[in-house]
Amino acid sequence: FLLLVVLVLALGAHALTPSHHLTPSDLVRLQDVLSQPYTDLKAAYLSIVGQSKLGLSVEACDFIKSNLDPSSVESLFYAAEASQTIASCCMMNTNFKQTPNKKNKHEDSTMSQIHQAVSALSFLGLPLASQEVVSALKARISKEDNVLAITLALQTASHLSQQAELGEILEEIEDLAARLDDLGGVYLQFEEGLEVTALFVSAAYALSDHVGVEPPLKEDQVIQLLNSVFSKKSWDSLSEAFSVASAAAALADNRFHKPVIVSAVGPATVSHSQPLLQLQVMDVLCQSLSSANVLVETATSAATKATILSQTPFTQRDGIFQLNFMASQPASGYYQFSVAISGDSRLVGNHIELKVKVSTKVSINNMDLSVVDKDQSIGTKTTRVEYPNKAKSSFIADSHQNFAMSFQLVDESTGVELTPHQTFVRLHNQKTGQEVVFVAEPDSKNLYKFELDTAERKAEFDSISGTYALYLMVGDATLENPVLWNMADIVLKFPDEEAPSAIQSKNLYVPKPEIQHLFREPERRPPTVLSNTFTAMVLSPFLLLLLLWFKLGANVSNFSLSPSSVLFHVGHAAMLGLMYVYWTQLNMFQTLKYLAIIGSLTFLAGNRMLAQKAVKRYCASLYVQLALQ
Amino acid sequence: MSNSVISVISRFLEEYTTSTPNKLKVVDAYLLYILLTGAFQFLYCLLVGTFPFNSFLSGFISCVGSFILAVCLRIQINPQNKGEFLTVSPERAFADFLFAHTVLHLVVVNFIG
Repeated sequence: FLLLVVLVLALGAHALTPSHHLTPSDLVRLQDVLSQPYTDLKAAYLSIVGQSKLGLSVEACDFIKSNLDPSSVESLFYAAEASQTIASCCMMNTNFKQTPNKKNKHEDSTMSQIHQAVSALSFLGLPLASQEVVSALKARISKEDNVLAITLALQTASHLSQQAELGEILEEIEDLAARLDDLGGVYLQFEEGLEVTALFVSAAYALSDHVGVEPPLKEDQVIQLLNSVFSKKSWDSLSEAFSVASAAAALADNRFHKPVIVSAVGPATVSHSQPLLQLQVMDVLCQSLSSANVLVETATSAATKATILSQTPFTQRDGIFQLNFMASQPASGYYQFSVAISGDSRLVGNHIELKVKVSTKVSINNMDLSVVDKDQSIGTKTTRVEYPNKAKSSFIADSHQNFAMSFQLVDESTGVELTPHQTFVRLHNQKTGQEVVFVAEPDSKNLYKFELDTAERKAEFDSISGTYALYLMVGDATLENPVLWNMADIVLKFPDEEAPSAIQSKNLYVPKPEIQHLFREPERRPPTVLSNTFTAMVLSPFLLLLLLWFKLGANVSNFSLSPSSVLFHVGHAAMLGLMYVYWTQLNMFQTLKYLAIIGSLTFLAGNRMLAQKAVKRYCASLYVQLALQ
Repeated sequence: MSNSVISVISRFLEEYTTSTPNKLKVVDAYLLYILLTGAFQFLYCLLVGTFPFNSFLSGFISCVGSFILAVCLRIQINPQNKGEFLTVSPERAFADFLFAHTVLHLVVVNFIG
């Protein structure tokens, strides 16, 4: 079981395909964004170089030359790279050399300044001190650890001589790739955003191509990066559009990874009128891969799981790959295609799962309508109706009779019996507008039968007799010709007919009657007189007690006035008073607090008092003993 | 039959009045008072109903608890039982009685609502 799980996971992981890509209309939109009019050199650079990445050439040499500021490295960089893409534009000014070189050696140059200086020198065709640049980059990476800086370092290194030690810079690709965030297994991007991710893609591939080492990105990671970069179809700024165009160009044409985009032309549906399944196989820039081989590995029916096709190639015509699926005579329904694209070792994401629908036309055979007597005394009269005609005479059924219908639904071309999702029988009363719909069910031999018992079903009809139009409705996702067929008219006679009321449409959305809230009524209490009587009754035994104690001659005279006994009695009274206050006002915690104070006092005093009493009693008993001797 | 019952009761009453010490009679009077109070509360509950039930319970439990504590006190201070309560002097019994009553009243007043 575990092996199966692992296998499924492996297959699932292997089958990651791009969920977002640039369609031709997206590319047009990207070009439009990039070709907006520009006013300064940086915007010109982004526009010109961006469009060149998409394969377009722009004439703007004069603008570049007029806006160039020879003392600024940034300006030189923009001008140099932009003019490089324009075939006829040439920048032959050797006095540019000084400024960039100076910038290289300056220790406080930021990464972007180093990048611009090196790129400018490279695009102008001027010599570079590559090893010095490498050490400057390394020093800078340790100081500026953010993603954009390291991406610029990668881009810079791609301009340096191949003899320089670029190994360490190359390792930065792997470190940066580890910093990408995996979003749901579909996207892989930096938290700094889309632009930085796209710039990373173009820089990583630029450096990898330059050095000749495959970038340490797995196939799935490449697809996920692709998804992230192309997930946004409208771009806020020129630089964002530029970064997306750079990434697209890098992914479309580099030495190691080539993501492939496969999409069906129109809906993936075949039928007898349209038997060809057509696929478009493109790279990221929507250029068709005509050298690819497209192969159906397996095509299985979704319903029966039977394999219809295995290892069947597509043929190519005008850049579109097509396959005549109807030649294999598939039954109508859905099919799961597993397609593999080969032909280039760089292809990434080249296993596709595709769901193809085969649709067909239905025809209704042997439609027999009859009125059957319940006690079967009178022979049934069966009328056969041919689609799309209507029965000439109407049928009459009252409460002693049933109305029956049987028919077959077959595939028009193959004659195979079909069971569509929707086969309904609808009766429509023209006068009142009422309609009742029943479902016709097939039996084991796929023969559809429907029986209407007039007496049994009168509730659905509200017992309204009259002429009903009989319709058959057939529909399914795989049917090209859904059917609504008025077959006949039936006159139904119900017993106990009430006066036909006008059909009111059930209005569900009117306000309902308001619910009055019943507040909880307080419990019924007994009358106050009764309560007071019983209170008096309950307190009365106290008087009895006092009386009895008096009669017994309780020893009130023996009341000593020593301080401890006074304190004891006061304390005790205070405790009883505290009980009363607790009942009316306090909570347990406060009571315990006060009780502790009063109680300890009372306890000490009481202890004293009782000890004195004990001594007195003991002495008294001693006296008695002595007296008795 | 009834004759013997009456004679037993009258004999019992005679012995009681003559041979029980005064202290114990005081406690007995107290016991009678508690009993009557509890009985009246119960009667009210039977006649009128149990609302509010917590008050009834607390009052009734108070009576029952007091009765029990008073019985304990009576047992402990009875000079005839002195042999069984060598460590407990009557004063100690009375102090225990008071402490237990404090706890009982705390609970009763908490529950009476």
